[in-house]
Amino acid sequence: MPRGMFKSRTLRRVFKRVPSGSTKLHYIERKPKQAHCGRCGSILHGSPRTRPIDMKRLAKSEKRPERPFGGVLCSACLRDMIKVESRE
Amino acid sequence: MVFSIGRVCVKLAGRDAGKKCVVVDIIDERTVLIDGQTRRKNCNVLHLDPTKLVLDIDKAASSEVIAAAFEKEGLIVSASTNSKKPSDRPKKSKTVKNIAKSEKK
Repeated sequence: MPRGMFKSRTLRRVFKRVPSGSTKLHYIERKPKQAHCGRCGSILHGSPRTRPIDMKRLAKSEKRPERPFGGVLCSACLRDMIKVESRE
Repeated sequence: MVFSIGRVCVKLAGRDAGKKCVVVDIIDERTVLIDGQTRRKNCNVLHLDPTKLVLDIDKAASSEVIAAAFEKEGLIVSASTNSKKPSDRPKKSKTVKNIAKSEKK
C-alpha cells in the first residue's frame, strides 16, 4: 500500500528497472506547461520545459531566443508588431 | 527594385529585430548586405521591412560613411550596435594576490 502522499496523482509514476532485475515504482515531479506566446497563444520554441530549479542552472541564452521579446512573443507576432510600429 | 542600394529597412528577425539598417550591397536576388543600427552582415530580404526613406550612399560604403548618413536623417547609430573590436573587450582585472606578486618582482 503506498504512502498517503503518493496516492494522489500530483507526482508522475515511472517504472524503473533496478540493479536486482526487478522493476520498482518511482515518483517523479511533473513537467510544467510549455511557454506560450502572449499575443496569439501558440507554443514558443526555444524555451525549455523544465522546473524553475533546472531553469536556474541554464545560461541566459539557453532560456529564451536572443531576440527582442524572446520567450514572450512568437516570431510571427513580433514581426507584425514591428511592422505596425515602423509604419505609423 | 524595392531593395536597391541606399534603401532604409527595419530588421524583422533575430537579435537586431526592430532596428533600422540600410542596404549596402546586393549579393543575389534574395540576399543583401546591410549595415547601420544593426551589425554589418548578409541578410535575407524576407527578414527586412522596407521604409520610404532612401539614403544617398555608394555601393559597399564603409560603416563610418553609413553612420554619418544615418545621423543626417536623425537616426542614432551607437557604437555598441557594431561588432566589438578586440581592444574594446573587458580585460581580466588582476586579483589582489597577483598584484602583490608582481610588486615583489
